Amino acid sequence: MALDLLETVGLSDVGNVRQYNEDTIAIDTGLGLMALADGMGGHRAGEVASRMAVDVLMQALRAQFPELRSAVRQHQPLLVVDRSINQANRAIYEAAQAQPGYYGMGTTLALTFFYDNGVVLGHIGDSRIYRLREGRLELLTRDDSLVRDQIELGLISATDASESHNRSLVTRALGITADASPHLRRDAALPGDVYLLCSDGLNDLVDDADIELMLDRLQANLPLAAQHLIQTAKDNGGYDNVSVILVKVLQPFPATVQHGWWRRVLAWLTRRSA
Amino acid sequence: MAKLVLSSGGSVVQQCFVDRERLTIGRDTHNAIVIDDPAVSREHAAVVPVGNDHILEDLRSANGTFVNGSRVPRRILQHGDVIEFGAFHLRYLNPRTSSEIDLERTMLIEGLTARVSTARDALASATREIPVAAARPGRNNFPIGRVTILAGADAGCVVELDRVVATFGQPGIQVAVITRRPQGYFVTHVEGRRYPVVNGIALGRESHPLRDGDRIEVGDQTLELRVDAKGTDAR
Repeated sequence: MALDLLETVGLSDVGNVRQYNEDTIAIDTGLGLMALADGMGGHRAGEVASRMAVDVLMQALRAQFPELRSAVRQHQPLLVVDRSINQANRAIYEAAQAQPGYYGMGTTLALTFFYDNGVVLGHIGDSRIYRLREGRLELLTRDDSLVRDQIELGLISATDASESHNRSLVTRALGITADASPHLRRDAALPGDVYLLCSDGLNDLVDDADIELMLDRLQANLPLAAQHLIQTAKDNGGYDNVSVILVKVLQPFPATVQHGWWRRVLAWLTRRSA
Repeated sequence: MAKLVLSSGGSVVQQCFVDRERLTIGRDTHNAIVIDDPAVSREHAAVVPVGNDHILEDLRSANGTFVNGSRVPRRILQHGDVIEFGAFHLRYLNPRTSSEIDLERTMLIEGLTARVSTARDALASATREIPVAAARPGRNNFPIGRVTILAGADAGCVVELDRVVATFGQPGIQVAVITRRPQGYFVTHVEGRRYPVVNGIALGRESHPLRDGDRIEVGDQTLELRVDAKGTDAR
């Protein structure tokens, strides 16, 4: 998509305590796709899993993008994203089965796919997607985490959750089973919206109220907002890798504009390789 | 492994490991921890393991369950917690889960309700999520300060700098942010063609550390910073 429709920035930091960064982030502004993955598994296999998730996802979605044109409006973007996520899942799962060092590796995933004035929100695990709209921050995803289950079953209250030692235990991830069940839905995306994708290294150390304040006050300078989010997580301990992707919607982006742009890119690529 | 140590009058009476099984505490002999004290109910409380947590639950006892002096219906036990049962003290020890330890590397375990999750997915609407509080960060002391607006919009106002950021200036024209960090306050340019001026000198793009008495000009505002000496705001 043309660069003046969405503004994006991504930052990933190892944090203050961990030796390795097992988060992976990627942004393809042209395609309207942003993805963030937080990997897990011994001996840096987490790094492998999160990178595979993002790489395979991006490739798969790029390949399927042209077919979106011919499709039923409402549902096709969801199906395309679901298929792409499952391709990524299968790749990680098979690698995990094939190599002893990778056994049990997995990753969370959070993605936003901006298409036709809407955004497909996809996630699995405890990486999150928030939206700031008219000064108010809203969490758009429900964590696949033990803490979330505990709260919903009434075992603990939401405020007690800050005392739980289960904060990083996820109940669903990519790469663990042959088929994945990501959570997917599509929302309208309005000019002025700011979307935040983040790994739990952010929201486990920074209150939603502080995230909201920083996004609201610094949205005119998106890189500064991203830097502040990471810095605050680190000032508050930095116990985990911390990654953020910020997306600001600048103007409406109907499908015709996106496809027109994509056709031009493909034509240019074809001429180059001819 | 987590342990519960029962003592009375300074001497240890019993020690019990807390494992994967739910255990109960009370006067009756069938309990894992038996406390022979009239103030204790026959089945008084339970310790339930959930993931990495051990949750203490009062079982509707006659006199209630007290942790560190406060009566609670339920509590996620923290290393060092002391639970009172009449003349007895039960201490929970689990050094692995000190709240300052980093979050466990993300791991996969079975959810409590796979079924419930699926039904929820089917709803798939823009439901407002209940926010989960951020983990309490370790002891962290922040400076205490405030800004007096000497000139420009809102002149005369005093703004307490008690949140992570505060912005000043004119949106769309020139804005600067004052950030509160453990090591002090910093000012950074946010937007605008001109940069903030501190004590008469224009800044660049980088964050600039501030001190008590500094004067900042941004947009049409002139600000004076005051930082309390030795004051720290523990989170």
